[in-house]
Amino acid sequence: MARVHLNRRSFLTLAAGAMSATTGAVVLGRTGRPGGSRPLHAAETTIRSSVGGFLDLDLIAEETPASIPGGPAQVLTYNGLLPGPLLELNAGDAVRIRLLNRLDRTTNLHYHGLHVPPGGNADNVFLSVAPGATQIYEFTIPANHPAGTFYYHPHHHGTVADQVFGGLGGVLIVRGALDRIPEVQAAEEQVLFLKDLPTQANASPTGMGMGMGMGMGMMLGREGAVLTVNGQLNPALSIPAGGLLRLRIVNGSNARFWRLALEGHSLHLIATDGGAIEAPVELEELLLAPGQRAEVLVRGEQRGGRYRLLNLPYARGAGGMMGGMGRGMGMGRGMGMGMGMGRGRMGSGSEQQAPVPIATLNYVGSVTPLPLPERLLTVEPLPAPVRNRRFVLNHGMAPGMGMVFLINDRAYEHGRTDTSVLLGDTEDWDVVNTGVMDHPFHVHINPFQVISRNGTPEPYRAWKDVVLVPPGETVRIRTRFDDFAGRTVYHCHILDHEELGMMGTLQIEA
Amino acid sequence: MADGPVNNLSGDVLLSAYRSSTCGCCKGWLEHLKAAGFRVADNVVEDLVAIKRTHRVPVDLSSCHTATVAGYVIEGHVPASAIRSLLRQRPAVAGLAVPGMPLGSPGMESALRGEAYTVFSFTGDGDVRSFQQFGA
Repeated sequence: MARVHLNRRSFLTLAAGAMSATTGAVVLGRTGRPGGSRPLHAAETTIRSSVGGFLDLDLIAEETPASIPGGPAQVLTYNGLLPGPLLELNAGDAVRIRLLNRLDRTTNLHYHGLHVPPGGNADNVFLSVAPGATQIYEFTIPANHPAGTFYYHPHHHGTVADQVFGGLGGVLIVRGALDRIPEVQAAEEQVLFLKDLPTQANASPTGMGMGMGMGMGMMLGREGAVLTVNGQLNPALSIPAGGLLRLRIVNGSNARFWRLALEGHSLHLIATDGGAIEAPVELEELLLAPGQRAEVLVRGEQRGGRYRLLNLPYARGAGGMMGGMGRGMGMGRGMGMGMGMGRGRMGSGSEQQAPVPIATLNYVGSVTPLPLPERLLTVEPLPAPVRNRRFVLNHGMAPGMGMVFLINDRAYEHGRTDTSVLLGDTEDWDVVNTGVMDHPFHVHINPFQVISRNGTPEPYRAWKDVVLVPPGETVRIRTRFDDFAGRTVYHCHILDHEELGMMGTLQIEA
Repeated sequence: MADGPVNNLSGDVLLSAYRSSTCGCCKGWLEHLKAAGFRVADNVVEDLVAIKRTHRVPVDLSSCHTATVAGYVIEGHVPASAIRSLLRQRPAVAGLAVPGMPLGSPGMESALRGEAYTVFSFTGDGDVRSFQQFGA
């Protein structure tokens, strides 16, 4: 049944045309000239669905001329696409991806959010794929893997921030029980891959100076002023009056937080990073830190018209930077120095001061009114933890190192084991931010549930793999190291901070 | 090489810096200036915003410390060599600024990465221009 559904959706999407945002990728001309778009790629290459339980494809990482108005002349792409091809799988499918590195720096691939082995040629972030080299990735999505919206992107320490900021990334959908809930199945489906790109003047995808110019750099995390959705500026989305639109939203930015609101409509959250929640949660706005995903339903409850999807301003806590540099003044957002001064170009060089429309929702046709689902899927509570650990996030000037970002006072060091756990154990981790900037904390391979924030219990259970830890907060997460022994990492998903040391290794012992 | 102005470029020049007590990279910048021969008055203040406002530092160019030298305003991690150029050229500007905290600038040294950055000049009526480029 799921297979038929897949094929039908793919057909409809392709029939809608190559430039439809539904495909999840804008087509960029590989030989196109700046200012002129010349699609070379057929639309069929933008969605790659598994066939007979198997997905096999090549991903070519390369620099590609782009034609996004105001954006950089060159972006980094997979197969000439930004975002890369949309990968569509079912739980239980086998995956074989051949990564060809046509960049001038080392890269690799991370399958963000997937519960697959961390070693070998599966989700192994320690692999290095040199320029000109090829790496074959092979793994099987477990048969009981949750359905959800996942994210593939490079993860080679030393180049990951530049490559993600330069454009690399794509969406990976796993289909399953969530997709078979009748109301969800009846919804129109749309992927939104959120990506900020530097303006042409500041751009040099492979250069270290990218995003600087008048602006701020890696210290706070580079943001670009050009806000794209599926590689496009203000793409059109459509909803039938009375119908439901399911948005699968991925924050594919290096450092930008996206705070979304849709004019005239609530967002009904149905899934977080790791898949379905138990019942829809109505939101007026949705905040996504880098690496986070969400699925929401929009009800076509207006009679018609056009509504703007807005990205609202968000301050990532830099206001305290000037007063609290380095050692804990404990200043959070809106405290201390006052945001006006602190958030000039201190922020990013592209600090957003007002809502920016990033897409437009149009009413097209009408259908018999569809209800929201009342229940979704069970989110099993994890058992009581056997251990509690503490991870303190901050930055500072370290002797001999200069400015570094730290977890438990240590900067990332390749080969050192920072945290060793036992396969099958459930643990609680208290993640504490004693600094002055927001840090989204990401753990690979196993999802977690947020238990509490500063001691306040989380209102509902959800599977996540990135949690925002604002300055002065302690977030308690609970996770179980299931199924796969091996070595992986946790880190701040402001990838500039990861590059500057805010990452640790996690050894899962059988 | 004109003799007069050159003499003003070393120990004779007093730079008054304003910073918060906790700023590690501000101290690093002051050490860099001292090593380059500047005489430094280090003022630890509570309200940096007021200092920046008084000296009419454009908000867009702000960083974590503000200083004055020979009638010019110096904002952020401006290298000593750029300040020397300023004092040698004596342009009709209010001062120089390095916005933010670029890695690799004086006081923001990093063993991990360096970034290109621009020293901007600014005038009292908000004219901002590139003065010098550094790094990467």
